[in-house]
Amino acid sequence: MTSIAATGLNVATPRAFVRPVVTSLSAPVRLNYPWKFSSTKRMVMSVKATSEGEIISDKVEKSIQEAKETCADDPVSGECVAAWDEVEELSAAASHARDKKKAGGSDPLEEYCSDNPETDECRTYDN
Amino acid sequence: MAVSTIYSTQALNSTHFLTSSPSSSTSKQVFFYRRHQSQTNRRFNTIITCAAQQTVVIGLAADSGCGKSTFMRRLTSVFGGAAEPPKGGNPDSNTLISDMTTVICLDDYHSLDRTGRKEKGVTALDPRANDFDLMYEQVKALKSGIAVEKPIYNHVTGLLDAPELIQPPKILVIEGLHPMFDERVRELLDFSIYLDISNEVKFAWKIQRDMAERGHSLESIKASIEARKPDFDAFIDPQKQYADAVIEVLPTQLIPDDNEGKVLRVRLIMKEGVKYFSPVYLFDEGSTISWIPCGRKLTCSYPGIKFNYEPDTYFDHEVSVLEMDGQFDRLDELIYVESHLSNLSSKFYGEVTQQMLKHADFPGSNNGTGLFQTIVGLKIRDLYEQLIANKATAPAEAAKA
Repeated sequence: MTSIAATGLNVATPRAFVRPVVTSLSAPVRLNYPWKFSSTKRMVMSVKATSEGEIISDKVEKSIQEAKETCADDPVSGECVAAWDEVEELSAAASHARDKKKAGGSDPLEEYCSDNPETDECRTYDN
Repeated sequence: MAVSTIYSTQALNSTHFLTSSPSSSTSKQVFFYRRHQSQTNRRFNTIITCAAQQTVVIGLAADSGCGKSTFMRRLTSVFGGAAEPPKGGNPDSNTLISDMTTVICLDDYHSLDRTGRKEKGVTALDPRANDFDLMYEQVKALKSGIAVEKPIYNHVTGLLDAPELIQPPKILVIEGLHPMFDERVRELLDFSIYLDISNEVKFAWKIQRDMAERGHSLESIKASIEARKPDFDAFIDPQKQYADAVIEVLPTQLIPDDNEGKVLRVRLIMKEGVKYFSPVYLFDEGSTISWIPCGRKLTCSYPGIKFNYEPDTYFDHEVSVLEMDGQFDRLDELIYVESHLSNLSSKFYGEVTQQMLKHADFPGSNNGTGLFQTIVGLKIRDLYEQLIANKATAPAEAAKA
């Protein structure tokens, strides 16, 4: 109440009046290339869903190659050991990501119910 | 004029409160006095502690890829509720929070991120890569009921992310490579567990985990284990002498020349004399028993099940060792075994079996690893309840006195 006014939020400010720009010619031109504006967005979204697992898999592969190279020079150096440790860490992260994908993600109802078990769709009656 | 002190209940005819700080406790105690003739003749006062809560701290140590996360899921399930990463925070957070427990991954206390470690040629197992001072301060703060801003180590990027706020839980579990390495942190732990996996079994498990990854081959998995072994033996392995319970996983002795690693021999080594922890035993405490449950009353499929129980010494401590070799195929084998074990700290007959069945899809659910992890979970619950009951009676005693 009073605090809102104090923060300076004035609801009564008149909106800025924008004169609509005449766009008679640009609209038809756009329609000739519908794929340019809609399909790219869709492609981006589907790639995002599987990318995390792939990112880690790529990292694992790269780190193994790096470790092999580092150890070819000197098998007992600290760098070689650290490189294999990195491989181990990334493999663990990859396997966790795989488990997470298997557990969640596949069934949208399961995912929703794990967050909201009290809703009507998710209630279970065991006894 | 009669002067009646505030401590006398007859003088007051409405609720008054008085705060006093008894010398021993760190919590504020509010005493409510009430004169209510219609109710019982209770002479003593109701004490409400708006206290720093009593946080129980459990430490769990193991190498990576050794079943820590499975253990964590079983443990949080014993207390009820699912453990999930903190909502609305960093999606790559390693912390798990449920109603009663919070699990903190000690990788968050790395002082060097992945590039830092590569430059210095140091593994994550090396104590130089971890900030033990910060670990000690934050665990101490959480144990006293103060919330902390804990850093996050992002396993995907290998960088240290912005810290997240952790509220003190009822049960705090710290899991990682070095929970018992630093002496000050060790003092704060109420109970500690070490998962000791033998080299053959470790190799078999890592093959199972990593063969699906492209880029990995048998040689690369072997090389990775071999390279980490010196640091592991120097820094991580010695922690097992400090643990209150060690779960040791070895290859089976029931199948001669077995190299598949499917059937396991698991030993639960329990330290004697730990406060609030009474070891599980078979038939007769302190004796040596060898038991094969398969026979006339119970039919098992190959290779069967074999139990051993004996007292022993482990790193100069007295311990009791309960060992299981083989695997469970059917529900009735599990319940039969449970009915013959004593001191399980279960709340009803069949609780261990029920917990195992609840998570039948977890790895190790058909052998000693799942069984002993579940039993340790029940022991921790028992320890927690005893600790809380003990701490609750102590201030009441002080007030009555």
